[in-house]
Amino acid sequence: MKSSRYLVYIGVLIILLTLPFYTGVYLLNVMDIILIYLALALSWDMLLRSGQISFGMAGLFGVGGYAAALIHLNAGVSPLLSIALGGLAAGFLACLIGMAVLQLRGMYFAIVTLALAEIFRVVIRNLPDLTGGPEGTILPSAIFSGNSTKTYWLVLTVAAVSVIASEIFRRTRIHFALTSIRNDEIVAKSSGISVFKYLVFIFAVTSAIQGITGGAYAHIYGFVSPEGSFSLDFTLLPIAMTLLGGMHSTWGPVVGALLLGVVSEFLKLKIPYGHLLVYGIIIVITILFFPQGIVGTIGQRLKKNHVERLAS
Amino acid sequence: MTILKTENLTRHFGGLAALDHVNMEIRENEILGIIGPNGAGKTTFINVIAGIYLPTQGKIFFDDQDITELPAHKRCRLGIARTFQLVRPLPGLSLLENVMVGSLFGKGLRQREARKKAEELCEFLGLSNMTRDITRMTALEVKKMEIAHAMATQPKLLFLDEVMAGLNSDETMEMIALVRKIHSWGMTIGIVEHVMRVIRELTHRVVVLDWGQVIAAGAYEQVSNDSRVITAYLGEEA
Repeated sequence: MKSSRYLVYIGVLIILLTLPFYTGVYLLNVMDIILIYLALALSWDMLLRSGQISFGMAGLFGVGGYAAALIHLNAGVSPLLSIALGGLAAGFLACLIGMAVLQLRGMYFAIVTLALAEIFRVVIRNLPDLTGGPEGTILPSAIFSGNSTKTYWLVLTVAAVSVIASEIFRRTRIHFALTSIRNDEIVAKSSGISVFKYLVFIFAVTSAIQGITGGAYAHIYGFVSPEGSFSLDFTLLPIAMTLLGGMHSTWGPVVGALLLGVVSEFLKLKIPYGHLLVYGIIIVITILFFPQGIVGTIGQRLKKNHVERLAS
Repeated sequence: MTILKTENLTRHFGGLAALDHVNMEIRENEILGIIGPNGAGKTTFINVIAGIYLPTQGKIFFDDQDITELPAHKRCRLGIARTFQLVRPLPGLSLLENVMVGSLFGKGLRQREARKKAEELCEFLGLSNMTRDITRMTALEVKKMEIAHAMATQPKLLFLDEVMAGLNSDETMEMIALVRKIHSWGMTIGIVEHVMRVIRELTHRVVVLDWGQVIAAGAYEQVSNDSRVITAYLGEEA
C-alpha cells in the first residue's frame, strides 16, 4: 500500500520533470503560472494552519521580486542567487513586521497585512531612483535568456520547495504547535508552546516562500513594476485556490491551484476579464456547499465509507 | 517543603476583585482542595498561577523561584500543569495527538518519545482506541484526555479544575481512584471541586475561597465545621 503510493509520487515527479520534452512552449508557460500560484497558495495555507489569515501575499511577493531584480542589477549577483536573496529579504522583513503586529489576531491581523502590502507598493512607487518609480524596472534579459524549458524547471523547483516545506510543517512538531494555536491559544500556552515565537516563525517562513516566488516571477518576465508585481491577483487567486482545494493540507492547495489555474487559462481565452467573475462564483459555491474544499470533502467521504464498512 | 506560595495575590477584573490578597501555599506531595461558592475565584486562582492572567498585585513563588512575571508557556515548562473546567480538546488532532501536544512542548520531547509517553498515559488512564477522532468520545473520556494532556507535560504541580463535574457516581469513583494513583507517583495536586465527597476522600488540606479571599484553611473536618464557611455556602441566618 505504502510502496505503491511512493511509486505514484515518483511517476508524477518524472512526468513533471520531463514535461518539456513532449509539450509545446504554450503549455509550459501555462504551467509556469499555475506553479507560481501553487507555491503562493501553499504558503498562504501554511500560515492559515496557525489560524492567521494574511491578505498581504502580493506585498511580500512584490518585495521579493523587487529585491531579486535590484540585487541582480545593482550588485551583479546571478539571477538564481538573487531569487534566493529576494526570498531572504521578504522573510527578514516579515520577521520584523511580525514581531510588531503578531499581537493581533484574526481580522485585525488580516487588515494589517492588507495595508502593509499597499504600503510596500506605495513606498516602492515613490523611490524612483532606486526602483524606477511608477514605470518599474526592466531587466536586461529574462532568466535563461527566456529558455522555456529551463524556466519551467526553475518554477517547478520553487513549487517543489513549497510542497516540501508544507510537508515538513505537516509531519513535525510544528504541525502540533500550529494546530493547537489555531484551535485554542490558551491550551497551547498552557502546554508549553511559545505562541508568539511560532507565529513569527511561520509568518517569516511563508513570507520567504512568497518572496522567492516573486523573485522567480520577476526574472521570468524580466521586469518589475508597482502595479504588476503587487497585483492583487497574487493575493486573491491563491486564496481562491486554497478554498477550492481544501484548507490545512498540502494536497488541497495543490489540487485547487491546478484546477483553478487550468480553468482560468481556458476562461481568459473565452471571456477576457470575465474570469474574475467565475472565480467569485466558484468561491461562493465552494464555501456554501463544500466548506472543506475538494480534498477535504473527498477525504471525509472516504473516511465515512471506511467507518461504515467496519461497522457492517 | 512548600512548592507553591502566593503573597498578597490580587487580581481585579474592572472593579471586581476576583482574588483579594490571597496568601496560600501548596506543600510538596499533598493534595490541596480549593473550594468555595460559585464566583469565589477558584478558577481565577488557577489561571493566575498558570499565567493565563497576570496578577494585579502580589507575588507567586514556585520552587522558591519568583514566577510572577513569567509567561504561561514557561510556567508549564517549569512544571505547572492544569486541566480546564470547560474541557478544551483540540479538534483536528486525534486523542493521542492531543495528549502528545503536552509531551512535545511541555518537556520538549522528540516526536517518537512524545508519542510513547502519550501512549503510556492513555493506557494508564484507560483510554483505548487512541487514534480515534475526539468528536467520538464520552464526557469521562474527554476528562481523562485532559488529565493525560496535563500529565504529559510531566509537571511537579497539577491543578485539576472540576474534573468530576458532569460524571455519574461510578465514574466519579473511578476518577477518585485515578487521582490517588497519580498522587502516589509523587505528584502535588491542587483540586478545585464542588462535589464534597471528592474533597473529603482525596484532600489532605482544604482552602476555602469566598469573594476572592481565603476565609478558612485546614483539614476537611475542621474547615467543614467553620462557621464562616457554612455562612459562605448557605448564607446568613435570617
